[in-house]
Amino acid sequence: MDVPWKTPDWLKFVNHTGDAGILVRAPDPKELFARAAWGMFSLITEVDAIRHIDTRGIEVEAGDLSALMVKWLSKLNFQHVTEHRLFGKFQIIDINEKSLVAVVRGERLDPARHQIFTEIKAVTFHGMRFKHNEEGWEAQIIFDL
Amino acid sequence: MRYEVRKLTDFLWELPQSGGMRVPARFYATETMLPQIFADNAPQQAANVAHLPGIVKASLAMPDIHWGYGFPIGGVAAFDIEGGMISPGGVGYDINCGVRLMAAKLTGEQIAPRMRELVNQLLRDIPTGVGAAGPLSLPEQELRHVAEQGARWAVEHGFGTESDLHYIEENGCIIGADPAQVSQHAWQRGREQLGTLGSGNHFLEVGYVNEIYDEAAARALGLFPNQVTVIIHCGSRGFGYQICSDYLEVMDLAVTKYGILLPDRQLACAPVNSPEGQNYLGAMRCAINYAFANRQVIAHHTRKAFGKALGMSIAQIELRTVYEVAHNIAKIETHTVDGREMHLCVHRKGATRAFGPGCKEVPIEYQAVGQPVLIPGDMGRYSYVLTGTEKAMLEAFGSTCHGAGRAMSRVKAKKAAAGRNIIREMEAKGIIVRAQSRRTIDEEISEAYKDASTVVDACALAGISRKVAQLKPLGCIKG
Repeated sequence: MDVPWKTPDWLKFVNHTGDAGILVRAPDPKELFARAAWGMFSLITEVDAIRHIDTRGIEVEAGDLSALMVKWLSKLNFQHVTEHRLFGKFQIIDINEKSLVAVVRGERLDPARHQIFTEIKAVTFHGMRFKHNEEGWEAQIIFDL
Repeated sequence: MRYEVRKLTDFLWELPQSGGMRVPARFYATETMLPQIFADNAPQQAANVAHLPGIVKASLAMPDIHWGYGFPIGGVAAFDIEGGMISPGGVGYDINCGVRLMAAKLTGEQIAPRMRELVNQLLRDIPTGVGAAGPLSLPEQELRHVAEQGARWAVEHGFGTESDLHYIEENGCIIGADPAQVSQHAWQRGREQLGTLGSGNHFLEVGYVNEIYDEAAARALGLFPNQVTVIIHCGSRGFGYQICSDYLEVMDLAVTKYGILLPDRQLACAPVNSPEGQNYLGAMRCAINYAFANRQVIAHHTRKAFGKALGMSIAQIELRTVYEVAHNIAKIETHTVDGREMHLCVHRKGATRAFGPGCKEVPIEYQAVGQPVLIPGDMGRYSYVLTGTEKAMLEAFGSTCHGAGRAMSRVKAKKAAAGRNIIREMEAKGIIVRAQSRRTIDEEISEAYKDASTVVDACALAGISRKVAQLKPLGCIKG
């Protein structure tokens, strides 16, 4: 699907009335989770305008891969909303079905430089899909806006 | 998907009870609206809701029904509090998202020359989108008071007047809020957002009374032709979103604990009288009160912005609260079902309470005409003031529609707006629109929404509300 702004070729925006979704492709699960976070922040702001000044470690545990994705993205969104942080670089250090360790980089939101497009109310389980084949990994995530 | 739809009346349709459905699913709509409604999977969602234990009479859908998380948006479901369910999905993420209507002493002609200044002033004074921290940053202890007292907290802290409270559903404070059931994350998300509009479809609109359909009702509500109006559409912000997210997790476990069979995991629920159900009810009521306080603070700043931009005193402008009503909420109410009085947990998700004339919950001044119902439309067309009816009480647990509903996804809307200057297009129509982000304006273009008039007409024809007035926009700020 074409959208009127620039996106990487591994990211697609999913048509969903009222809400917004992303479809992310990656060669492995580490990159898949990193790109999903990038995709979520691309709904929030122009990710390329985020400077990688601060570094934070993030750890998440969950019951399965879908819950892991919801908790990972929810944690980043929570820090964005409550601490006015924006993140633009995501590195997954370790991941398995039920836990993830990551390092994320970003900076404090500066209204002079960062335009905020929208607010994400929640990362939902609705329509969550993972696909894995010889070409790599794919995940679909729907957000409540 | 193919549906076997039965016609009950010209404006009410039914998916009969089948399979695990405990009651039928009923849809308020005109015949011409049916293809669009049934092209979506929302009707299946309405049928899924009919599977839940303790549901009474029918799973109802308003003419603006569309897909939602688990429960459809535009749905009404009432459960017997003895053995029936309560579900966060039946309320939605934005708990007590709702609408306040205020009316000025002024006419549209009087403010037209200053509209640009007024809208710019509103954008400066009312924090809208994300990152925009509100002028209030409250410690958790103070937020607990907000959660318990609602709009009363705002009035006691200098935001608006006592008389506002009289014209808010539940007088701006629902009883039974239990701050002990709210998570630390929710307090943190709520800390800086009181008095902010939020993004997405939330807005503040300055408009005027374009047409009056029911003179007696308009008079009772104090509305007259060309009168300046303000609509505030927002909810409980991150505080409510977090409470919904937290309790979706709780209910997911409760479903297994209580052995509830669900056709869709997203309908996660618990018995109203279970600890999980009561905890959610207590936490949700905190968010209900937060939203009442939020709109009260915004209303206060709106009056001040009018004063500054128009160079008038608040007494000259007035902007009295006509009414404020929620459209994402679950409440314990008493209704007569098949001649029997029942205590019910009524879920309205994208549906508005529409109590009829004579109901004690309606402000005394409006009792002869029924409770005002406020239906926001899109930013380019019109909004409506309706009233509740006795038929709504008998058929729909005192409920009606809530808005137009989106016709296009955000991506599609942005595509439709590409290469156009929507702000200038709106200005050519005499509507000044401002937002923190131009992308928001593109996503919210008029044509991205269904025509609110068809939704409102269907409700009026079905008899579950009466049309009182149509409001047209002059200016709008969006998150």
